Amino acid sequence: MQQVGLLVGKDLRIEARSRQTIGLVVVLGVLIVVVLGLGLGTQQGGGVAATAVLWTAYLFSGVLCFEKTMGVERADAALAGLMMAPVDRSVIFVAKLVSNLALMALVSTVVTAAGVLFFSFDLSAAPGQFIGIMSLGLVGFAAIGTLFSAVVSSTRLQGGLLALTVFPLSLPLVISSTQLLLRIFRDGESAGGQALAVIIAFDVIFLVASWVLFEWVLEP
Amino acid sequence: MRNSHKSRIFTYWLLTALAFAAGGAMVAFYAPTESTMGNIQKIFYLHLPSAINTFVSFLIVFVASIGYLIGRKAWWDDLAAAAAKVGVLLCSVVLLTGTTWAKGAWGTWWTWSPRLTFSLLLWLLYVVYLLTRSSVDSRQRKAMISAVYGIVAFLDVPLVYLSARLLPDLHPASIALAPEMKVTLAVCFIPLTLLNVGLIIAGYARAGRAREQQRTEGDHAPRPMNLHRLGGAA
Amino acid sequence: MNAPAIPFSPPAILTADLPVEAVRLGLVIDDRAILRDIDLAIGRGEFVAVLGANGAGKSTLLKVIATLTKASRGELHLFGRTVTRESADLRARIGLVAHQSMLYRELTARENLRFFARLYGIARANDRVELLLDVIGLGNRGNDPIKSFSRGMVQRVAIARALLRDPELILADEPFDGLDAPSVATTQKLLEHLHQSGKTIVLVNHDISQSLELARRIIVLRSGSVLVDAAADKLNRASVLAEMGGM
Repeated sequence: MQQVGLLVGKDLRIEARSRQTIGLVVVLGVLIVVVLGLGLGTQQGGGVAATAVLWTAYLFSGVLCFEKTMGVERADAALAGLMMAPVDRSVIFVAKLVSNLALMALVSTVVTAAGVLFFSFDLSAAPGQFIGIMSLGLVGFAAIGTLFSAVVSSTRLQGGLLALTVFPLSLPLVISSTQLLLRIFRDGESAGGQALAVIIAFDVIFLVASWVLFEWVLEP
Repeated sequence: MRNSHKSRIFTYWLLTALAFAAGGAMVAFYAPTESTMGNIQKIFYLHLPSAINTFVSFLIVFVASIGYLIGRKAWWDDLAAAAAKVGVLLCSVVLLTGTTWAKGAWGTWWTWSPRLTFSLLLWLLYVVYLLTRSSVDSRQRKAMISAVYGIVAFLDVPLVYLSARLLPDLHPASIALAPEMKVTLAVCFIPLTLLNVGLIIAGYARAGRAREQQRTEGDHAPRPMNLHRLGGAA
Repeated sequence: MNAPAIPFSPPAILTADLPVEAVRLGLVIDDRAILRDIDLAIGRGEFVAVLGANGAGKSTLLKVIATLTKASRGELHLFGRTVTRESADLRARIGLVAHQSMLYRELTARENLRFFARLYGIARANDRVELLLDVIGLGNRGNDPIKSFSRGMVQRVAIARALLRDPELILADEPFDGLDAPSVATTQKLLEHLHQSGKTIVLVNHDISQSLELARRIIVLRSGSVLVDAAADKLNRASVLAEMGGM
């Protein structure tokens, strides 16, 4: 387990040093919110558009984030160096996932703040539940994103391939969180029910599946 | 190809065509017209068997993907690819019949109802599978990425189904099936299943042949240069 | 191109615990055979250079020996143990130097070495790192990020990393690639020193003359098969070139 700490520490230190990934990803996220804001104009519909705007921003900036954190390993074949160590491949997965989550936590905070600002999202009704639900969604998204970033990065044609594979897989998260938040904010219900179950099921299934598959998939 | 093999293939497709004809005839003349929706309901006889077969195809993709990850034999990948192509084809049928039904029964081509959304998302999921395959050149990488995606996508299907069910359903469509309808439906399963299986096997065989051919293409090593043909210095 | 065939003459094997023993090793990727039926035995303390044209399979062979890539056929034994999926402890006895640095550009030399030292679970990691930094002559540049280093300096750090666990087997894949003459000389000196201290070295190289000088045994690969396996002093550049398929 301290190996995970070591690996995550390394990732975050590299990030702090270069601030390359985090800068790009945060700005992209905010840009997307701005574009949607300009596009939707007065039609914004207040809080109802919230999950759409936020998920769009998360999906695109998230994919970029995952590409870059895996890119660090591919840059000078550093991954081969890792694989020469007595490190379980699943440990590498967990570490990458944690690093990705840490970065996405930062990104989502800034993006959500931008969304609240530009769209006047009113989260006062249930801010805790909002954060909780979106966080659960991001965990599942990051699990799939981390797995596929490893698979895709070993090919030369990286480009849109990660986004292509991860987006359709993440749609259940988008639907469930949207429906759930609609129920909470528009209908005044409390969190729970099938929508929440789907999100949690998604997280569990794909955390396990990604963890298992990573083992089979990692190549230097 | 040997002649007996060719004739077997011909017979198979002939049977399939006949099955379609029989099914079509039954749908047109034998099955009763549904009282509330009218003739458009009959598209259901195409829709449901296609949907079930789509699911079967994607199940085959799932199994073949696991097979490839464990065994790393190319024919697992051939099977997965063939099944995915047929699955997307059938899923397109499901989608088209779905929107046609929507138009005929409720007047709009599209609605974000659970059933239609599920068909669309499923279709997208596996279209991306095919796109991913064509984006990667190396056969080994292609097979690897496809296998991982094939497994994850199938695991995603129940989640897509459940989340689609969360969407508001304005037009719940439950049809009580009269006995003649059930018979017609059963008959209509035959041609579509035959089509499904036949196309998958055909695609699989074709992929295998293409690989064989590539392998026996001979040695491409460069030969020594023939500088003396260049002429030049005295 | 009818040079007389150079006979197989592997050195006498004294113990069963060979650093490297390959039996009918094969690797097929995309239906192309990259390695075909490689039989290889490398004894303790040998210095072997693997030569061959591009695409002959030399780098792949090294990756397989390093257990980074799995062979499709045959067996690989390292230090007398068969290589399976769980061979982490075997890797501890191998030091790999590739032509990619396998280091993190944003981190300093010291941070890179400490990271790998901790990952490898080395006791008194920091002391070992300081020792190696001094050995490679970069003690004064330890706190500079790798991205500010010249290729020769990066290579030195990569070698230091490979030496962290004091491995018995050193695998080097084209380590002289892109180095200037002084750095080449330094790296050569280092390899010779390691050889003299009893380590087994397998070097993949493209410079024939250099390899004939450095190594004691030459293996030539062509299209994935071993064509030549003989002592270096029995060969000359022309014959090796002929076997590689040169003109």
